[in-house]
Parts: sequence; structure tokens; C-alpha cells
Amino acid sequence: MGDFKFAREKMADVLSGLGEYQVLAPLMTGGVVRFREVEESDVPVGERGRYDNTVVPPKELMFPETETLFRYQLGGTDINVSEPEGDTGRVVIGIRPCDAQAFAIVDRVFGWDYPDPYYQKRRENTTLVGLACDEPCSNCFCPSVGGGPASEEYLDAIMYNLDDTFYLKTITKKGEELARVLSGVLQEAGDAEKKAAEKQAEEATSRIVRSIDTDGIPEKLPSLYGHPFWEQFSDRCLGCGICTYLCPTCHCFDIQDEVEHFDGRRARMWDTCMFKEYSLHASGHNPRPTRKERTRNRISHKYSYFPLNFDVIACVGCGRCINYCPVNIDILDVLEKSREAEVKEEKPA
Amino acid sequence: MVDNKTLQNKAREVISRDDVRRLIGWKRGTFGFEAAPAVIKDPSGADDLIFDATCVNNLASFITLEEKPPVPRGEEPDTRKTAIMVKGCDSRAIVLQLVEKAYERDDVIVLGIPCSGVIDRRKAREMFGDVAGAVEATCEGDKLVCEVGGEKKEVDRKELVMDKCLRCRYPNPVISDELLGDEVEKFADDDFSDVAEFAKKSPADKWAFWDEQFSKCVRCYSCRSVCPMCYCVECVVTNLRPQWTRRSTDISENTAYHLQRAWHLSGRCIECNECERVCPVDIPIMTLNRRMTRDVKELFDYEPGVDVETEPLLASFNPQDPEEFIM
Amino acid sequence: MSEEFEPNIVAFLCNWCSYAGADLAGTSRMHYLPNVKIIRVMCSGRVNPLFLVNALQQGADGVLISGCHPGDCHYLEGNFFARRRFTLMRNLMEHVGVDPGRVNMSWVSASEGAKFQDVVAEVVEKAKEAGPMDQFRRRQLNW
Repeated sequence: MGDFKFAREKMADVLSGLGEYQVLAPLMTGGVVRFREVEESDVPVGERGRYDNTVVPPKELMFPETETLFRYQLGGTDINVSEPEGDTGRVVIGIRPCDAQAFAIVDRVFGWDYPDPYYQKRRENTTLVGLACDEPCSNCFCPSVGGGPASEEYLDAIMYNLDDTFYLKTITKKGEELARVLSGVLQEAGDAEKKAAEKQAEEATSRIVRSIDTDGIPEKLPSLYGHPFWEQFSDRCLGCGICTYLCPTCHCFDIQDEVEHFDGRRARMWDTCMFKEYSLHASGHNPRPTRKERTRNRISHKYSYFPLNFDVIACVGCGRCINYCPVNIDILDVLEKSREAEVKEEKPA
Repeated sequence: MVDNKTLQNKAREVISRDDVRRLIGWKRGTFGFEAAPAVIKDPSGADDLIFDATCVNNLASFITLEEKPPVPRGEEPDTRKTAIMVKGCDSRAIVLQLVEKAYERDDVIVLGIPCSGVIDRRKAREMFGDVAGAVEATCEGDKLVCEVGGEKKEVDRKELVMDKCLRCRYPNPVISDELLGDEVEKFADDDFSDVAEFAKKSPADKWAFWDEQFSKCVRCYSCRSVCPMCYCVECVVTNLRPQWTRRSTDISENTAYHLQRAWHLSGRCIECNECERVCPVDIPIMTLNRRMTRDVKELFDYEPGVDVETEPLLASFNPQDPEEFIM
Repeated sequence: MSEEFEPNIVAFLCNWCSYAGADLAGTSRMHYLPNVKIIRVMCSGRVNPLFLVNALQQGADGVLISGCHPGDCHYLEGNFFARRRFTLMRNLMEHVGVDPGRVNMSWVSASEGAKFQDVVAEVVEKAKEAGPMDQFRRRQLNW
């Protein structure tokens, strides 16, 4: 554990000091902020001013939208298969604590019965340098699901955006290694920075307005399986993929072969349980025939199936699904109402 | 603008009818500048309904969105009507759906509401920042009175409503069984100056622009899902056999998807702006659609969704259609 | 470049007029440029504009859709529908910055072998001017 600081204008030096790593930071690309590799002239958004969070979560860094699993050549009697090269050491700068927590949740799936080498390799190679939230958005509720605006638990190091300096606190070995690489740029931080950071974290926490009491919800949701309660939300669901694609913990994917002449690749790409094709069987039967079942699945997966299997709620309270849902399906509203919904005895048919 | 009491009373009356199964309206959202769509099935739900400048959603999508699993043997399908509240732009979607025979005129009860513009949440965010709690916003003449966090703020209407509202030619529903509230005057004519402005760019600049925009797309298909005119049961982009668009997100497939979407809406887009509103990564989708809308108007003198008696543009032809580019 | 760029042209020809026209050009020993790869369809009205997008994705540098002259359609009105469609599709392609010279349409009857020869020459010329289509071709590099 080390405490460092660097002046705001030194950000460029910090980034160039990380030359041996591939550096990823929130950058303005095409009008939206996304995590991208930092080129020399780029200015990370978190440095320039305040940004709440990226629209597309940084899960794309470990689990890209589209990822080649292997390539092959057809023709003749031979089929050559080759694996893509892995990434080298990477540093992610400016990730929010909630999104880092999401990695810890998704780890359980990708390291479960069949470890996923692609995901795990990236995780191992990546050092996460967080940026504590100074201004949580109005739909953030991370403290309700075990996080916080300055939660350190899942980060290797955390930065605080103080007025004209950044306070950098290393948390893990990876983080300390990073501080060692940057020893030319970093200065020891004093009590003033530590106090300011603490104050900032406290203030940020106090500004979070929304919350949910998750007690009992994992057990309650399955009892509402056939309940008409879901219809008040699914009736207005459009069946688009916003909530799942923008969710930092959603991790479903589809695998497809793409062939160009004699070259092919097997790739996986994000998939979402909100599409009807997701659960469609080859026979034409669909076990989740309407949006009611799909909405139920999404919410129940996060707040019931996942906690019952892995002991942790698959939601980090980042607020993205609430902010971007075109029809205001608000997960907190759904959970609140699920508490009120009365479970009736199923009548025998 | 119709007051909420009148609206709720009318809704209650309609949903109480024996031949009405559901009524689609708006209710207050849980936060911010956008109301939520509400589907009510009994009179008690009518108390939640509202209409004000936060009611952005085009509810016409919900008529065709409903998925009907097969009716169990021995049961009769429910053929009762759907009642729906529409603004001017939304009503054009209903007209076009009727033109395309998506359903019968008797299947729907259209409650038209004259509208003086709805709020653009992106503009509102610029103006008010991140707002906790739901906002109420009523039009009073040229002003929008927004109740933000218990505080009333008066804003120039032009600065807060969506761009589509500033050039809206149909603020009053073009089709309705009943009109709630008094008709409003139309604001301006649409001169398509934005399209002309974009057309001035060089081909390389145009592609550079779209390259950047299409690259952002995560293919959540929200633009398709929200569109009242995208109601195919099986969409060409998700079909696997033949697979016209691959699922991978790269510039090639993303471009193919957006060209397909824009193409399928040429001569069908009724300019409700929903696709652009819902896009999480802010792709200016209407810039594609509006080019098509302008061309359709100039080349074929056709405007979709204003007359139930017309034929769909691409299912009809005129032997005298222009053909300058054909060799 | 030492070698001159030779574009790939995909031509969708209707069975009753344009394909017969191309056939006539061939049997009359008229030389038309070999850049053109012909796909026979039953009617120009059968050509879905998505074929065009897909052809450009898969490596075409230009596309030609050819049918019977207006009024001569074997199916009476298929080419009228095609005309509307491709007028709009061409504008849409132009709007996203694709060279309009890549999207071509012609009326070639069964007796117009010479016209087919000219059309192909013009289409190839336009595609040469536009250069290789690299805007949204499926790239294998980034796989």
C-alpha cells in the first residue's frame, strides 16, 4: 500500500511513463466516451473535467463485443487452425469502482465449470487503476449492492480527482508494480491529500439518492415466476438490447463461424436474453415466448439466480440500464414492486 | 394541451367498454425528463395516465409489438380492441400501419392529442444537468414550465423541445376517433435544410462521418425495436438463413445493418425520431432517414402516413417515375 | 501501382431481356469487359437492394442491375418497382459517402447486345474512377 500524488498537468507524463503497457482510458470517440487505447495526443476524459461514466461499460475490455476465438483455413484435405495472439500487459486508467466490481462478479462465471482462457488471460494481464466517483449520477445505487463511489476492493490502485492533483493509492501488488514503473513522475502524498480524498468519498456517498434493500429478494423473485406482476413492466418492454449490452455484468455471448472464401474464423459476440432469438429452439419452440418471460429472466438472473448460485448479486448499481432504457423500465422500481407483489397459491388447472 | 383529469376520465370510459382489451397511454416515469409508456387493462390504471411535454414515446409501436403465443386448444382468441393515445407524429405511424394492413381500422381506438412539442432529454441534460426524480413539464404558449426537484423553471420552448418538433407539420393527429384537447397551430414548414447542408459534404467527408458513427454501434437494435414501422415478425438482420448481416460488430456489418434499416424505412419513415432518441451511443440515425424522406418527397411527391387511402410507396409505381441515372 | 486497378463488377441481369442481351453480345462475338460477373435473376424486380450492399461487402467495386425497358417487362411491372427502389438506394449510398458510380442500372433488351457492351464499358470506367471499394468491405485483417 503506497500513497502517491501527481499534479494535474502531469497526466500526460504518467501516460507516457506507462510506455511498456498498453494503456486504456476513457476517451471521447465519435461523440461518446468509451475505453480506448491511448495514443499520444489523446486526453482522457476523466482528466479534463468531470465525467460520470462511459455509456458502454468497460466489460468490453475483458469481454469484447466481437472476439475471434480461432481462425482456420479450408481447402484441400487440411484444415489449419490458429489461435489469435493474446494481449500483452495492459493498464486501464479511470475505471469506476462499480465497473471493476463487475469484473469480480463476471469472474465467477468465466472461471466456473469451464474456465474461459480468453477472458482470464485478459484479466491477469490487466492492472485496474480506478477513478473514485466525485459526482455519482442520479440513478447510481452502488452502496446498496456492496460497492461505493470509492470502493477499493476490486481495484489494483485508485485515483482521486482532487482539485489540481491526482491522489493515487496503490492497493495490490500489481498496483505497486505500476507505482514503481512511474516512480519518476509520482510524489509521496501527504495527509492533506488523504483527508481530501476521504472527504470526497464521503460527499460522493452522501449524494447517492437511490437505494434498494436487497434482503429477501433472491428468495422472493422465484416465487413470482408465473405472477402477473411482471406484465406491468414487460407490457412496455421493446425487446431491445440496451439494458443487457450496457450492463457491466451481463456476459452472454453467441458463437458464429464467419467464412470468407477459404479463410474462416470462429468468433463470439455479445448476445442478450432480451432478444427472442436468444432462446429460440431449432424446432421453432421458444421457452420464453414473450417479453414477459424475457424481462423476468433478466431481472431474476441478476437478483435471484446468480446470488443463489454464486452468493453475489449480479448488479453493481451503475444505473446504466435505468438511464438508457427507452421506456423507463427501472430495475429499482421492479424490485420495489416485487416486494409488494403478493404470492398467490397456484390454482390447479 | 389536454388536462390530465379529462384525459383520465376519457381513458376510464374507454377501458371500461366491453370491447376494449387494453389502453396504451403515458404515465409519469421514475426519473428525469421522459414519461413512461403505460399499458392499462382495467379502469383503476387510468388514474396514472398523464399527458405533457415529457410524453416522448411513440406508442404506436406497442400495437404491433405485442407477442401472441398460440391460443390453447378449445379457447377463443381475444379479439377485443386496443385503445391508444397518439400525438401528431405518432398518428402518422397508425396511418401507415393501416396502409400496410398491419391490422384493421376496427381493431384500434385512436385517442388523438394535439401536441405542442416534447422534451429532448439530451437538451434537458445540457440545461439542467443530471436530475433526480421525475420532472413535470407543461407548455404555456412559447414557454415550457418545468417542475424540476419541486422548483418551477420557465424555459423557452424552442430551446428544450426536440428538433423534430421545431419542424413539425402535423402537431394535430391526422387520424383519431376522438380528439382530446384543442387543436394547436403548426409551427413551421420543413425545408430539409439540414439534409441540404449535409449533402454539401464531399463523399470522403460523408464517409468519414458515417465511419465514425457506425463504428460506435453496439447493435443493441433499439432503433429497430422502438420503431413503429419496424414490425416484421422476423427481422432480416437477425435471420440466420440467409444471413445478410453477420452478428459481429465491425464497420462492415454495422454499415450493412444501418443501410438496411434506413432502406427499409425509405418512404415509410414518419419522423417520430424515436430511433435517434433511444440510441445509447448517439448515432444520428435520423440524418439517414431524413435524406430518404426528402428524396421520396421530391422524386415521387409522396409523404408517408398522412392518408389511409394511399398505397405504400415501394409497393406502387408511376410509369413516369424519374430515371435520369439509368443507362 | 504498377498494375492498373481492375474493378470487380457484379451484374444482376434479368432473365428475359438483359441476360439475353448479354448472351447476344457473346454469340455475336462482341468483346465486353471481363470485369463483369453476371448473376442471372428472373426479373430486375427480384433484386433486393440488400444484394447491392452485400455485393459491396463481399468484394464488388461496382454493381449493375439491368432489366427490360419500361413497358417491356416479362412480368409487366417488375422493372418499375426496381426503378423506384434503386433510385432511392443509390441516393442512400451516396448519402453515406459511397461513390454513386458504384451503383448502376440499365435497360438492355434481348436485341441490344451492342448496348450491353457499352453499358459494361461505362460501368467499369466509373468503378475505375471510384477506385477500390474499401469503405465497408469485409476485412479479413482485423479478424
